[in-house]
Amino acid sequence: MQHHKELDASGLTCPLPIIRTKKAMLGLRPGEVLRMVSTDPRAPQDIARLMAQSGDSVLRQLSENGKFVSYLRKT
Amino acid sequence: MMDAMGPAPMVLWGGLALSLVFGAVAGKSDFCIMGAVSDAAVLGDWRRVRSWALTVTVAMFGAHLLHHAGFIDLSRSVYQRPLLPWLSLLLGGAVFGVGMTIAGGCPNKNLLRLGGGSIRSLVVLVFLGLVAYMTLKGVLAPWRAGYLDTVAMDLSALGLANQSLATALTRLTGMPGQTALLVTIGVIGFCLLAAIFKDPDFRRDPGQVAAAVVLGLLVAAGWYLTGHLGYAENPDTLEDVYFATNSRTLESLSFVAPTAYSLELLMLWTDKSLHATFGIVSVIGIVLGSFVVARAQGQFHWEGFASLQDLRNHLLGAALMGFGGVTAGGCTIGQGLSGLSTLALGSMLAVAGIVAGSVATMKWLER
Repeated sequence: MQHHKELDASGLTCPLPIIRTKKAMLGLRPGEVLRMVSTDPRAPQDIARLMAQSGDSVLRQLSENGKFVSYLRKT
Repeated sequence: MMDAMGPAPMVLWGGLALSLVFGAVAGKSDFCIMGAVSDAAVLGDWRRVRSWALTVTVAMFGAHLLHHAGFIDLSRSVYQRPLLPWLSLLLGGAVFGVGMTIAGGCPNKNLLRLGGGSIRSLVVLVFLGLVAYMTLKGVLAPWRAGYLDTVAMDLSALGLANQSLATALTRLTGMPGQTALLVTIGVIGFCLLAAIFKDPDFRRDPGQVAAAVVLGLLVAAGWYLTGHLGYAENPDTLEDVYFATNSRTLESLSFVAPTAYSLELLMLWTDKSLHATFGIVSVIGIVLGSFVVARAQGQFHWEGFASLQDLRNHLLGAALMGFGGVTAGGCTIGQGLSGLSTLALGSMLAVAGIVAGSVATMKWLER
């Protein structure tokens, strides 16, 4: 999936992945996509809640080589 | 069998059993006080705060029921001592809160992660234990005891025998002690339960509700174990003493000082004056409980540091938690569950410090 920015939060634990994602989303323009990678098993559900709170959207979430990858679009 | 077993083995085996269950339930339900603070501060989601509050409420009811029935004497716990070192509680709590946010979890969370295979958490716990020991008895102890702990309020000068809110109510209203106790836990319990179950999402999550109730009961069980079953006559001195606790009085779950005492016991094993305690076996039990759950769910995996910066952050966080946890008289579990269950004013100050330190760090990281 095409993306405009990547955030690798591998190895980081709660609350850092969610805080870094929040900051990264603020740097995007509407319509742009962030690819976020994390090893924290809680990250996908926390990111989904963050997107619900901010009004941005989760395009796709998948597991890749033991990592959790989320594609997030700024609205 | 209980009669045949002496008070010390009973406290140790009982402590291991209840902490093992605590570790299993906390691991399975993802119970995490730092996570609760983070959810509320960053996501505006208060469900895990509700879970924490329900655990405290159940622990408070359980502990005070035992106290009211005469099984234990909560006023003898370290949390209710009449000297209130408010600066240590607030500052230590805030330093602990900064540390747990930088290190990505409090000591309890790191014990749970260790059970799941995190070598990173092992390093955090060893470093935390070292700094905690330095703060208890080492190079930082004179500074803590001489400059921070001396800034204290003597509640006995105000006519208060201990830090309990119920004692304060008695002093203010002249109400008999037992009545004041029932009124205090009744009013606080009702307000907390109303706030907790106001959220329909939380009400519809029986797993979280059940986990919080079990964890709260385990904190109360800790009080019963050390304060009743472990309180007996010492055959050498013929005095009634609390067996197998580091504080030499009744205790429930707490993890900063016990991590330090675990290291002390391991390093000075041949010193016959040192023994296993409720706190030490609790540290082991949490890891074992978490390990069992991680293996059963197929989630056990070895985990290390991601980078040098990751190592640096975790060591800094561990050091702050070690110093802050000892200075504040407990961690998120020691003050945030066991202490709050006694309704001690000092525990409320320490928890306020922990939350303030954690939220301030999150906001700083969000910049």
